[in-house]
Amino acid sequence: MLILDKDLCISCGVCEESCPFGAVTMQDGYPVIGDTCTLCGTCVENCSAGALSLSVEKAEQGDLAEWSGVAVYCEYYRGELNPVSLELLGEGRRLADMRGVELNALLFGSRFSGELDEVAEKLIAHGADRVYVVVADALSTFREDLYCRVTVALLRRYKPEIVLAGATAIGRAFIPAVAVTMHAGLTADCTSLDLRESDGALLQTRPAFGGNIMATIVCENTRPQMSTVRPRVMKALDRDDTRAGEVIVLEAGELLPEEDGLDSRVEVLESVAGASGAVNIQEADVLVAGGRGLENAEGFELLAELAKLLDGKISASRAVVDAGWIPYPHQVGQTGKTVAPKIYIACGISGAVQHVAGMQSAETIIAINRDENASIFNIADYGIVGNLSEVLPMLIARVKELS
Amino acid sequence: MKIIVCIKQVPDVTEVHLDPETNTMTREGVSAIMNPYDQHALEEAVRLREKLGGGEVTALTMGPPQAEGMLRDAVALGADRVVLVSDRAFAGSDTWATSYTLEHAINALGGADLILCGKQAIDGDTAQVGPGMAARLGIPFVTCVQKVREVDESRLVVERMMDDGYDVLAVKLPALLTVVKNINEPRVPSLKGKMKAKKVEIERLNAETIAAKADCIGLPGSPTQVAKVFAPEARGKRIELQGTLEEQLAQLAVKLVELARGQEVR
Ligand SMILES: Cc1cc2nc3c(=O)[nH]c(=O)nc-3n(C[C@H](O)[C@H](O)[C@H](O)COP(=O)(O)OP(=O)(O)OC[C@H]3O[C@@H](n4cnc5c(N)ncnc54)[C@H](O)[C@@H]3O)c2cc1C
Ligand SMILES: Cc1cc2nc3c(=O)[nH]c(=O)nc-3n(C[C@H](O)[C@H](O)[C@H](O)COP(=O)(O)OP(=O)(O)OC[C@H]3O[C@@H](n4cnc5c(N)ncnc54)[C@H](O)[C@@H]3O)c2cc1C
Ligand code: SF4
Ligand code: SF4
Repeated sequence: MLILDKDLCISCGVCEESCPFGAVTMQDGYPVIGDTCTLCGTCVENCSAGALSLSVEKAEQGDLAEWSGVAVYCEYYRGELNPVSLELLGEGRRLADMRGVELNALLFGSRFSGELDEVAEKLIAHGADRVYVVVADALSTFREDLYCRVTVALLRRYKPEIVLAGATAIGRAFIPAVAVTMHAGLTADCTSLDLRESDGALLQTRPAFGGNIMATIVCENTRPQMSTVRPRVMKALDRDDTRAGEVIVLEAGELLPEEDGLDSRVEVLESVAGASGAVNIQEADVLVAGGRGLENAEGFELLAELAKLLDGKISASRAVVDAGWIPYPHQVGQTGKTVAPKIYIACGISGAVQHVAGMQSAETIIAINRDENASIFNIADYGIVGNLSEVLPMLIARVKELS
Repeated sequence: MKIIVCIKQVPDVTEVHLDPETNTMTREGVSAIMNPYDQHALEEAVRLREKLGGGEVTALTMGPPQAEGMLRDAVALGADRVVLVSDRAFAGSDTWATSYTLEHAINALGGADLILCGKQAIDGDTAQVGPGMAARLGIPFVTCVQKVREVDESRLVVERMMDDGYDVLAVKLPALLTVVKNINEPRVPSLKGKMKAKKVEIERLNAETIAAKADCIGLPGSPTQVAKVFAPEARGKRIELQGTLEEQLAQLAVKLVELARGQEVR
């Protein structure tokens, strides 16, 4: 509850002006708080008279000091380690060193053989002090309910204070269920992490409202503090094979001893990788994106040629996905994927906010558009004003010369 | 089959901006819409009912009283019943508290065979409420469903969109699905639907009628706390390329190759 002490209020109206959610209206000299109040506390901070306060009685969840260490869920799926895992170990290492605690990696697989052993070694070489490898046949395919149960059992046993996972299809699917079961706070899609000086609480910063707003979120009273982190925003450490670490192999059945512990009510009938139109554009260093300015589906052939020369992939605006020129997994934006490549080349894309929301964290943005006033130029580092049918072949020829 | 669709009213985010000087959100004329993903969830529920030749589709929302308009739209789009869970005590709910509240509302409604959610809401953008609710309800769930292939009274066969392809899964009911937008093309409301929407009685629940504990809802029940809200950093200024189009492209090509390789050309 937001509480107003009328005796202290000097009717200055600062609260009304400072509320980012437009929740305050002044009536008869006093603020009235409306339904859009998110209890963010901005007005409390800004009220110089000290007339506003937030009364929050959050139940403290046991002894927070019992929880220590940083844990990173390392996504190993279809025989491949997702690169975001190494990025998170890099960031996790930094946080663990600041806290003076250990960095542990969580890795799931069907059995501990040469392949998984190599992955575990790799995780150590990239910063992990310890790798918990949980094995069971049932873990060979991804099932939300089962992965959730295994993770919860691990977290309850090892009690880390911070848990990080990639904001990938898999991470975003089961980590929220883990957080709810653990009664822990979870911040989605973080783009930066830090520790608060006063108490070491994790400061988790993320975009919301389609990238129009950034919010920093803390979970002071619960453990673990959990975040999913966007791919490609954190830096992996260079591989260092001299690093020492420990690998601990656990049978999933030992973690979940109940008879139905490893049962799932979901059955994977088929797993289709790289099917037509399936791409993981989030992992690409270079994305060549096409919009309605391509004029037809064939336009993507030129884009594919340029993408190939730059070792990149193709993505698209919603307009052309809706037109059926290219499948949905290529869509970038608010109702598509969020990407952060090194280079994003927007070809014939107007720069609608919903598109920009998905690509504005690219390192370098290049826009090609025939309309010099197109809003995509407002966020571009390099802009070419011209017709695609002329520009693309010329650009491709130039790049070819240099390759 | 009893289907509950969870729908959320969201600001049309194209119109929301934070003024970097005052740190306040511009709200002039910001309209409220049904979360786009939830429209697809609702459409899928209505299609399943039509396919099975019976059943009931309930649209459920937690939100302020203004969400009534959206619930009427849901009726126009095919929902049979609409339920508003509203209480001042829900203010400040994070996804934990939202999952708790919706779970209690679903139980108060007698549960469901299938619960459908959008993949994510376009304002909070977390994609956490669906999985959180399923965990609380203790039912299996599948996220990012792009197609329902088969349905009968006891199980579903669905396609789950993955980062690099898709999986085909069989899931036993009761279950919860979150859907992506290529699952279907939502219909436009029919005239008959619009008439029905005008007359429909909106069912109301509050913290008491769903038997919610005070320390599990709203801000007290939310482990996450927004500590600060600020405007994103503006991107760097555009670098002008000089000369004719050809000359510009020659410079751009060099830049591209350098950036892609991470080293200078020549
Ligand atoms: C709720 C909601 C969610 C949305 N989610 C997304 C999303 O996730 N992703 C997304 O991309 N959009 C999304 N949109 C749609 C978005 O608002 C825009 O409509 C869309 O991004 C426009 O696509 P476009 O830039 O390809 O097409 P247009 O806006 O039509 O732009 C085409 C551009 O190409 C240029 N052009 C035309 N011909 C040529 C030529 N020959 N040579 C060079 N340039 C040329 C034009 O000048 C123009 O700037 C969403 C909209 C809503 C309401
Ligand atoms: C700037 C900002 C940042 C935030 N960041 C976080 C965060 O990192 N972690 C966190 O826990 N909370 C966060 N919150 C709070 C969060 O936005 C709210 O809890 C919100 O009620 C639900 O989250 P969502 O909008 O992300 O929904 P999502 O989880 O993205 O919604 C998924 C689906 O759940 C259903 N659903 C969601 N809300 C409702 C509802 N009210 N009624 C009916 N169905 C619904 C819909 O089907 C929807 O498509 C944040 C809030 C703000 C303002
Ligand atoms: S900022 Fe404080 S003193 Fe000023 S009107 Fe608001 S409550 Fe009153
Ligand atoms: S707590 Fe935040 S949202 Fe609520 S009135 Fe104050 S500034 Fe506005």
